[in-house]
Amino acid sequence: MSKSGVTLLHGAVVEEEVELTLVELCQACNTEEQRIQEWIAEGLLEPVGESPRDWRFSGDSLRRARLALRLSRDLEIDPAGIALALDLLDEIAALRARLQRAGLE
Amino acid sequence: MAFKDYYEVLGLAAGASQDDIKHAYRRLARKYHPDVSTASDAEARFKEVGEAYAVLKDPEKRAAYDDVVARGESGPGFQPPPGWDAGFEFSGRDFDFGPGMDQGDLLDALFRQQARGGQRAGRPAQGQDHHARVMIDLADAYRGAQRSISLRVPVLGPEGRVTMREHKLDVSIPKGIRAGQHLRLAGQGASGAGGGPAGDLYLEVNFNPDPLFRVDGRDVYLDLPLAPWEAALGASVTVPTPEGPVQLTIPPNSTAGRQLRLKGRGIPGSPPGNLYAIVKIALPPADSDAAREAYRAMGKSFAFDPRKHLGANVS
Repeated sequence: MSKSGVTLLHGAVVEEEVELTLVELCQACNTEEQRIQEWIAEGLLEPVGESPRDWRFSGDSLRRARLALRLSRDLEIDPAGIALALDLLDEIAALRARLQRAGLE
Repeated sequence: MAFKDYYEVLGLAAGASQDDIKHAYRRLARKYHPDVSTASDAEARFKEVGEAYAVLKDPEKRAAYDDVVARGESGPGFQPPPGWDAGFEFSGRDFDFGPGMDQGDLLDALFRQQARGGQRAGRPAQGQDHHARVMIDLADAYRGAQRSISLRVPVLGPEGRVTMREHKLDVSIPKGIRAGQHLRLAGQGASGAGGGPAGDLYLEVNFNPDPLFRVDGRDVYLDLPLAPWEAALGASVTVPTPEGPVQLTIPPNSTAGRQLRLKGRGIPGSPPGNLYAIVKIALPPADSDAAREAYRAMGKSFAFDPRKHLGANVS
């Protein structure tokens, strides 16, 4: 018990300790399987496993899928456009990290 | 609700066509989308643009809005016709800083619960997963931390009315967490229906900006100013780290930009990150006779041409 009398909760670090099933990813993103399947077809998400039942998504898929969902909803971008946007955003993030490391940003 | 000129927000004149409105919205939404834009006011601008579009894209709401404007009721106490912006579903943002459930998730949760409320005594359904964000200091990632967070969650009452309830949680932030990572707290999302299990809560962890240290993944960077003689002759200097100061040996002839690695002093983990001290040379000001004399003596002691590689002195 902690100070405020509420039990202290321990969570799992999604990016390191969690692999998500298709059902869990849909639930976490509040979206339907069909949309996730479209994104997989575009290479936006890359689960391991043979069939949808066996698919396991890396923890980072949660961030990618939620970002994809926001982009598709807010900007009405199709899956191919989202896949491109995600790749470009990753690249920009990597470049920004280099700038920041050098103290330039 | 304050009156806003929705046409102005979209950069349009009042007579704009529905196509113009759509184009203006698309362009501004791309420009200010918080996942894409780095502008500090992107979030606010994006919301404003979304709000304007939600009204103007719908001919009925647009007519109601135009009518209010035409009747000159656009004073500070402007009250829009009730329900005119109902159903405006703002998408799932969780960049409101500080913990809290984002509005999109909230609306989704409401609609889900209402939908579920309709099918009373239906089969068990798992509660929705919730998302929130929590900010920690870099030092918290070295030691681990504890955060009390308070979420406002919608709860469906017995008469089908939805009320907001405060959900307080004390969460342990594990040592070694990195910026942008998520914690999954099982069973802390929305409660299930018909005996179904509760959803999970995902907490995105981010770092408050630090005045000294920059972070990239597990590695941490620090600018380390050195006096010219320290860099030239070598020295032992005290360097701050998020865990407290350490003593660092500066090798002789260290040049500006050189990275001195403190192995394993980055964010803990397996393997832990490194801390890099980046050498900066700080020149003491020549603001006294003694200082000027020291610089002159230095000049005489070296046959040093810092611009040699520019080739301008070649005769």
